[in-house]
Amino acid sequence: MNRYQFEDLISEYIENQLSLSKRKEFEAYLKKNPDSEELVYSIKDNIKKLNKMPQLTTSSTFNERLMESVGKSNYNPNEDKLNKIIFGFTPAYASLMMGLVVAFIFISVQLINPSSDPQQFQSEYLTDEQSPRNVSNSNNIDNNQNQDLVEAIDDSIKADSSIQIKRDFSNKIQFVND
Amino acid sequence: MKQSSYSSLAVSLDKKSTFLYTDEQLIGRFQAGDERAYVELVNRYKDRLLNFVFQFLGDMEQAEDVVQDTMLRLYEKKHYYKEIAKFSTWIYTIARNLANTELRKRKRRKTTYLSHMSKDERQYEIPAVQDNVDQSLHNEFIQDRIKSAISKLPEHYKMVIILRDIQELSYDDISNIVGVPLGTIKSRINRARLQLQADLQDLK
Repeated sequence: MNRYQFEDLISEYIENQLSLSKRKEFEAYLKKNPDSEELVYSIKDNIKKLNKMPQLTTSSTFNERLMESVGKSNYNPNEDKLNKIIFGFTPAYASLMMGLVVAFIFISVQLINPSSDPQQFQSEYLTDEQSPRNVSNSNNIDNNQNQDLVEAIDDSIKADSSIQIKRDFSNKIQFVND
Repeated sequence: MKQSSYSSLAVSLDKKSTFLYTDEQLIGRFQAGDERAYVELVNRYKDRLLNFVFQFLGDMEQAEDVVQDTMLRLYEKKHYYKEIAKFSTWIYTIARNLANTELRKRKRRKTTYLSHMSKDERQYEIPAVQDNVDQSLHNEFIQDRIKSAISKLPEHYKMVIILRDIQELSYDDISNIVGVPLGTIKSRINRARLQLQADLQDLK
């Protein structure tokens, strides 16, 4: 143990917080260095003096003046309800969090169910070149083929968006025996 | 109406408390609306906080004003206390922050602080009466030397030595109040004690 290590451990030694092995090492150092022993004794003595320092006490009018201050303060006990903490947040933060949650839910719903209008969906997800309007205006592309393509897309979109509508195919079904 | 309720509270402040609750139980009761619990907390902490704050400000009137502000904050912000921390840590932290604010103001303004009350109106308790005048003078001399030695310490040493050796708080509490890791607190206390010893070595 050197001098620096010794100085670092003085408080722990005085407060009896050293492990047994460290304590033995520390005490061995003290025996070898009488001035160190004196230093430890002196620090112990200072701690005792600090503990015995006279305690100041507040003036006799302290409580009276405090109550005057309490009375004068703008504090309203009825406002306590507003100051209460909601799930670990102050009311302001709780409101903000609630707003964020609502916004998150709204955006999530929009992402999952982008649009109930198939035409809108079509215009959003088809590129300009695929757009039926552009296709019909183009002179370079085969109009019939494009028209088929558009109709096919329309059908698929309608089929997707009207899952719940059950069509009656009974008239169109022909059995072999018929 | 409001004023009268506070004056009745002031009267109950001077009565000897019969409460046997912990600080945490008291603040819980106060949060639930029992103002007698507030009175008890004030009585428990006013002197401890005064001794703590005085070591920083070195001025009795200012220190008492800071303790008043601390108690007022306790009254107004009672719902901000959460039982995850010890009450003593919370109240000491408020007092420390207010004392720091006061020190910053003092440095900025560099003007003499005028308290709201004249000195004549203040009545401070006189420390324990000594039987022997010589002994009393000797003790006073030692105390002045110690105070002077503490005031010479750097701020971060001063705070921890006051909390540990004068206020006798635990290392954990000090760590929470100062907001510094436990190891750093231990190291600071050790260094502060060594510095004090160097300054007071002629004092036997």
